[in-house]
Amino acid sequence: MTLAKRSAVYMVLVALLVLFLSPFGWLAITALKDVGELRALPIHWWPHHPSLGNFQEALTRIPYLAYARNSLTIATIYSVLVTLASAWAGYGFARLDAPGKRVIFGLLMSTMMLPAVITLIPTYLVFAKFNLLNTYMPWVLWGLCGAPYLIFLFRQFFSNMPKELEEAAIVDGCGHIRIFWRIFLPQSWPVIATSLILSFSWTWGDYIAPALLLDSDRTTLAVKLATGYVNEHGAQLSNLVAAGAVMYVVPVLVLFLIMQRGFVSGISTSGLK
Amino acid sequence: MSLPDTAPLGRRRFLTVSAGAALAATALPGCAASVEDSGSGGGSETLTIMSVENEMDKKTIKAAEAALGCKVKFVLYDTTKLNAMLASKTPPDVVRGLGATDTPYFAARGVMTDLDQYFAKSKALKVSDLDPVNDVWRFDGKKQGAGPRYGMAKDYSQDSMFWYRTDLLEEAKLDLPSETEPLSQDEWLDMGKRLVKRRLGKVKVYGMNASGLSTFCTIMGMTASAGGSLFSQDLTSVDFSSPEALKALNWYLEYARADIGPSVSNPNPDGWDWPTYQAGRMAMAGDGYWFGGSIGGDAKLAKVSRFAPAPQLGSHRISPCFGATGYWIPKEAKKKDLAWKFFEWYFGGKPAQDRAASGWGIPTLKSLHSQMPQSQPFQKQAYKVQQQELKHFSVLTFSPYAQLTALDASINKILPGAVKSKTAAGKVADQLNADMNKQLANGKKVLG
Repeated sequence: MTLAKRSAVYMVLVALLVLFLSPFGWLAITALKDVGELRALPIHWWPHHPSLGNFQEALTRIPYLAYARNSLTIATIYSVLVTLASAWAGYGFARLDAPGKRVIFGLLMSTMMLPAVITLIPTYLVFAKFNLLNTYMPWVLWGLCGAPYLIFLFRQFFSNMPKELEEAAIVDGCGHIRIFWRIFLPQSWPVIATSLILSFSWTWGDYIAPALLLDSDRTTLAVKLATGYVNEHGAQLSNLVAAGAVMYVVPVLVLFLIMQRGFVSGISTSGLK
Repeated sequence: MSLPDTAPLGRRRFLTVSAGAALAATALPGCAASVEDSGSGGGSETLTIMSVENEMDKKTIKAAEAALGCKVKFVLYDTTKLNAMLASKTPPDVVRGLGATDTPYFAARGVMTDLDQYFAKSKALKVSDLDPVNDVWRFDGKKQGAGPRYGMAKDYSQDSMFWYRTDLLEEAKLDLPSETEPLSQDEWLDMGKRLVKRRLGKVKVYGMNASGLSTFCTIMGMTASAGGSLFSQDLTSVDFSSPEALKALNWYLEYARADIGPSVSNPNPDGWDWPTYQAGRMAMAGDGYWFGGSIGGDAKLAKVSRFAPAPQLGSHRISPCFGATGYWIPKEAKKKDLAWKFFEWYFGGKPAQDRAASGWGIPTLKSLHSQMPQSQPFQKQAYKVQQQELKHFSVLTFSPYAQLTALDASINKILPGAVKSKTAAGKVADQLNADMNKQLANGKKVLG
């Protein structure tokens, strides 16, 4: 590639980077503005008096860290459990034979097309019946059941592993539980990373389920961010919401930065790329 | 092939470990962590109230607990959650709602408690003292304003009235609107067009905001003022094609296309009128009396703000209320008597007096009208205009077959495209009829 071509490619990439980062950049700038500057005309592209005061107020106006702890607990419980359960189910679909396996897998995949909103009220009724409202049990149960997309991801990855590996283990006296636990799972780090990132960010950003199943004093940061920053007349305090939102994306960002190599590799090696 | 030299993981061990992990995981979240000390007040009973944060803040909850001698549990208002709670027969004891649009929907589904017997026995809330706006909380199966009372408003406004800034009107050399005679919608629109200020083609100062609480309600009110009705008599369908509704729709399309104020195709980024109005970027705000509560907190703005009667599209002068926010008690509520005690305290006690004096809405008890603020000149003027407007209040019946949010969603889906493409009002009316009547027919099917 010539220098001119390379430069052109980099320029396009930088332009795209700026385009995709601009909403987040605007959010961060808004978080530094006071109320007056939010409505200034002509628009203040950079605040005349930038201040971190909004971040401090966002942390104290609501018990921010306590709600963050709730979000973290739910997201961790769900992502760990759903990753293990999906890996286990994916292994079964990839390496074991059973009558009707294809039909069951097809059925499982078809549930991905079911909009979550359809099952909202019935789900609430089931959890209400078993007195599981206002607890984190729904996330445990959802986690233990696995997620169709992640099962598919693990199944694709495990299907690509050489048959000889499994056969050698069987010759050495391993059963399927041991093969899964000792051989397949340790080698599937990229998919585990992908699964952890995806499931953690789904739960961390979920609004509907916690709003529906948890009381407002036990809910998550996603719900509180949307409803907690209001003045005494119910009007939203946009600069505080912006400050809260900037801090809100940090855990997911950190998780992604730590696991990004695995994430990219997981997507490419599971045949989804 | 050699395996790692650790203890073998047999089926039994694996299952034991898995079961242990699952038990540990289930034990940990058995009880979700509470981050606030909600519901820690006195008394053994707990009253569950579904409301919004600013209305049921910590201070109000504490005051309610002290006044009622019980614990108060706050549940954040969410339509989906409310429907789920009603479906599971575990509703809150008290629910916040918009009387004008919620009452027919929930009353027709039989989920509201008839409060007539409570009102009959009450010493704090006498029917003779109730402001007529509370009639929007009545529904007899066919129309609002008659039949049992299902709730009560905490305060209200006649939502088609408007506030204006005298400094901006004077700058544009426009006469100030009359305090008694309403403008016609066309005169109001013309003023808006003359007040708008642009910079490089973008609106710098909105001439007006005519969107009101909801676009559907705005068009519904204008249609009624022209002598028509958006809903059919049996409330099972809408007709935007009638001459009166078409006139209203045409007016709204002209307003939106003129780009002189927030509309469905160009919403106000501030979310509501106050910040824009306060910043001198809106000359006329289509908000009711409640808006004066904000103005009262800004001395500079109070000097240049005045209130005007609701503009009319036709000769049938009306000035409806599309909110009448208040509370109702679900039929399956467990603590109905305690919920009524809350009603008496919240609507007839100190909170009602505080609300009346704040200027954030008209009190819903006639006996509290005298407590409306009149210390500043703008408050005196607003009080006078408001008192004259009260006699034009009328109850517009809403359909029980769809919720306002669903009908507004149709408007938001169809109108922005129609505004941009300059589609003829007749065609837009047909689209709205088709979309909304489908929803209303579904609602009718569900109710039977």
